[in-house]
Amino acid sequence: MKLCFAIPFAALLGCSAPPSNGVFTEANAPDLAGYPYVAEYTVHRCGTLDCHGSPYRNLRVYGDEGLRYSRADRPCVPQQTTGAEVVQDYLSVVGLEPETMSAVIADHGASPERLTLIAKPLGIEEHKGGAIFKAGDVGYLCMTSWLQGATDTAACLAAMPTPICALPAQATVDGGAP
Amino acid sequence: MRNRVGVGLRVACAIGVLASAACDPVNADVVSSLPPSNVRNGPLHRPGQPCLACHDGVIGDPSAFSVAGTIFTTPSETVGVNGASVWMTDSNGTTHQAKTNAAGNFYVSPSQWTPVYPIVAVKVTSIGDASAVMRSEIGRDGACGSCHTDPPGADSPGHIAMTADDGGALP
Repeated sequence: MKLCFAIPFAALLGCSAPPSNGVFTEANAPDLAGYPYVAEYTVHRCGTLDCHGSPYRNLRVYGDEGLRYSRADRPCVPQQTTGAEVVQDYLSVVGLEPETMSAVIADHGASPERLTLIAKPLGIEEHKGGAIFKAGDVGYLCMTSWLQGATDTAACLAAMPTPICALPAQATVDGGAP
Repeated sequence: MRNRVGVGLRVACAIGVLASAACDPVNADVVSSLPPSNVRNGPLHRPGQPCLACHDGVIGDPSAFSVAGTIFTTPSETVGVNGASVWMTDSNGTTHQAKTNAAGNFYVSPSQWTPVYPIVAVKVTSIGDASAVMRSEIGRDGACGSCHTDPPGADSPGHIAMTADDGGALP
């Protein structure tokens, strides 16, 4: 009978006490100021409504082309990703694997493929959306330069096509129609 | 006797594996949330709904589709467009054309076309030269109705429409 009380009490103590060896995770986060360019890239390449533009995904991407953060907004209305959406995207990316992210940032972005954020689009890890970029291409450079602390804005811009929300719904882009 | 027990165990294991493969609780929730259909099962049923929730290729379910959806006339009406052509191009550059039926439904079986995601371009054309293009890519879900839900909101552009409510071009 005493065990019935003793075990939960011990478990509670175990949950509430800090590690006895005094070791804590030192949180190093990448730069928010450099993230807007990366956000625009991820909104386009990752944030469609059937992929990461969903509140039910671990990596959740808000943006103009998909899921909106404000319930008053709609896809492409307004036609730009809002500041609040950039912040939410940043928090989602940083919070995905905080310890690994912290380690990568502490190493100044070295071996970024340690992060699922990079391993999946590289095709190293299973990814339903397939390989999104290759090591060294503009999409890769956009994301990894941000992890290194100096976002390559030119690479990010080169990785993005014309903003799709600015395109008319009756456009010359087509699926092969004559 | 021991052989019979062994065979029985293997059969039971196989049934268990198949049953567990068919039991996807997330998909089961999607299916159970679908509104009832007043049309019997067939090509004209459940326009606008996420076709691949049932047509997913799981044993015991209806025949699998790789891509399927419904084209409606306008954003505020749920009248299907008959005879529209849906042109799709995947990331490997392969193209497929599907035609809508009287309910506005179109569907593609895996043997006809299995796209490599993302599907990078979709264009719909109908009689009278009306056309509409999908501006975003399709990343992983071949069921149009999974994202194009009603009413439009922060997580949906609304159902697929050929023209604006006034018959003009979509915004």
